[in-house]
Amino acid sequence: MGQPKIPLDLILSNLAEDAEKSTKRAREASEVLLSQLDTGIATTPYDVVYQEDRVKLKHYRPVTDVKMKTPLMVVYALINRETMLDLQPGRSVVQNFLKEGIDVYMVDWGYPTRKDKFLTIDDHVNGYMDNIVEFIRRRHNLSKINLMGICMGGTFSVIYAALHPEKLKNLVTTVTPTNFDTDQGLLHIWMKDIDVNRMIDAFGNMPGDLMNFGFLLLNPARLMIDKYVGFFQNMDNKTFVENFVRMEKWIFDSPDVPGETFRQFVKDCYHENLLIQSRMNVGGKRVDLKKITMPLLNFYGKYDHLVPPGACELLTGKVGSKDTEDVCLDTGHIGIYVSSKCQREFAPKIAEWLKERDDREKETKAPKKKDTIKQIENIINANQEM
Amino acid sequence: MGEDQGKNTGAEPLFENWMKSTAELWTSMAKMLAASPASGKKETPESDMQKSRAQETLESALKMLGSLSSAAGEPETADSIFKGMNIFPQILNRMAQTAWDTYAHFQQQWIETAGRLGKQTEAYRFDDLDKDVFRAWTDLYEQEFRKFLHIPHLGLTRFYQERMSLVMDRYTIFQGSIAEFLHLLYLPMEKSMKVMEEKVGSMAEEGDILQDPDEYYKMWIKVLEGHYMTLFKSPEYTKVLGKTLATMEDFLLKRQEIFQDLLQTLPVPTNKDMDDLYGEIYQLKKRIKMLEKTHATE
Repeated sequence: MGQPKIPLDLILSNLAEDAEKSTKRAREASEVLLSQLDTGIATTPYDVVYQEDRVKLKHYRPVTDVKMKTPLMVVYALINRETMLDLQPGRSVVQNFLKEGIDVYMVDWGYPTRKDKFLTIDDHVNGYMDNIVEFIRRRHNLSKINLMGICMGGTFSVIYAALHPEKLKNLVTTVTPTNFDTDQGLLHIWMKDIDVNRMIDAFGNMPGDLMNFGFLLLNPARLMIDKYVGFFQNMDNKTFVENFVRMEKWIFDSPDVPGETFRQFVKDCYHENLLIQSRMNVGGKRVDLKKITMPLLNFYGKYDHLVPPGACELLTGKVGSKDTEDVCLDTGHIGIYVSSKCQREFAPKIAEWLKERDDREKETKAPKKKDTIKQIENIINANQEM
Repeated sequence: MGEDQGKNTGAEPLFENWMKSTAELWTSMAKMLAASPASGKKETPESDMQKSRAQETLESALKMLGSLSSAAGEPETADSIFKGMNIFPQILNRMAQTAWDTYAHFQQQWIETAGRLGKQTEAYRFDDLDKDVFRAWTDLYEQEFRKFLHIPHLGLTRFYQERMSLVMDRYTIFQGSIAEFLHLLYLPMEKSMKVMEEKVGSMAEEGDILQDPDEYYKMWIKVLEGHYMTLFKSPEYTKVLGKTLATMEDFLLKRQEIFQDLLQTLPVPTNKDMDDLYGEIYQLKKRIKMLEKTHATE
């Protein structure tokens, strides 16, 4: 008798083994789920040092000596929350920055309500952001600060840098869409057919839950099925469960986006792609990318399905600065900030890049205004003597 | 025949007499009322005015009744009334005929609609349960049923009724779109299952059966993901997604109008009131902030 074509006995034995494992897992999972779980997010200590309307500015308490004299202001997107940068101890971009000796400020956009529906991109960029930059400049008695933007917050930072270049020393953009004329990401394809006027007229503000549903639809097989299958397979593992719940808390914590801001963002960026062509108008002024003359570090993810490389990589070639660098990491949209591998690459790279430019500033310190006048006077005097 | 019947009964003189006595009754009633002491009694100017007006109205009514009775008592009028009574069954018959014709007309329309329904069903192959079912339903609704919700409304509450009809209309359209959209989302599931059936079948034939059930799941989720990606990139999906969102937004806008109507009757501000207020606050805040900045730089 030869080997059977289908080893039924083996399959049945595996199934029986799996059933036993599942029973054991279910028993242990109930113990885990009923135990005290540590699922807190954004636990790094901070102080709210500035507040305007719903917008707050967090200043993280340093954990070591501040090694860079220029503080870093981080601007998150209006979609989801900035807590993602401080998801949990050991997977926190904020903590990594603090360990590197960076003085970190973070904008918390809060939860827009119906009364915020009239707020435009101008109100966010030339209003809230500029007021916060002014506050930090005064607090540190500095003329320039470092700015880092994330996703839509990166787009706002690019606009800000073009409109107020004199206030920024360095600009860091991460997963920042600036070129919207690409078919690489589904979001870019779908957004082109959205009637944003009707949408905002119907909703007032863009509902966070509706956007989240849209994000889930980008990959339902993974995000609505496989993810939870993975959870059931690991729910006897307390650390896994805690991390999973933290991520769920962050993902579904979605503030609404102010209606007029969303309308302008979709029309000017997704529909007309004005920003990368330096044709976008904010607050009555043209956003000319050539005016971005400060050093620029541009991060993006190779497998980002929300903001694909095609949406990010053109920026460095369009700005006026000669000191630019693109960094493409082998990860997705969120992986840049939370994956263990990127934790080792992302924050240290930014810290090193900023430190280099901070040190360079010290070495080639620009003459003060008075010194320049003195030099000119000396030249004139010398000429007269001749 | 009717006229003959009226003459043969000999009821006209009786009718004339009855009408004459009725007219006399109303006239004497009116005279009595005019001569009553209450009419001459004057208490206060106000009550006098009120009584006089009431009395005048009553007298006028009695006179009118008297005149009518008198007129009805005329032989010609009585004759005309009797003729009318004789042809009453004919009138009733004609009215019934008109009502029946109207009913038949509507029934005919419904039969035609039902007939078209059958044609549509055939055109979209209802027996094959696919997304065309939803399209067929939407088309049917738009062509055959929607017009009933668009029948013009009349009267004082016409605008409220119209808004109610529109919200029902938009809701029905939205239901059709969402059903089509959800069906489209289900298609990759169906297809991935079929692919798995084929794959497992061919693996079984080759004796290459996987022993770990987890491997089948991994295989299926990969196939499913692939199908979803293909679907999401298709122009058809984008079109259906856009249509679903548009119909949902249309429905929400119309629903807001209904809420607006309802809330207006309650002592609470409506969304429109609040939006107007928020708009003004926004403008004021903006101006104040600008002034503050200008003042700070001066």
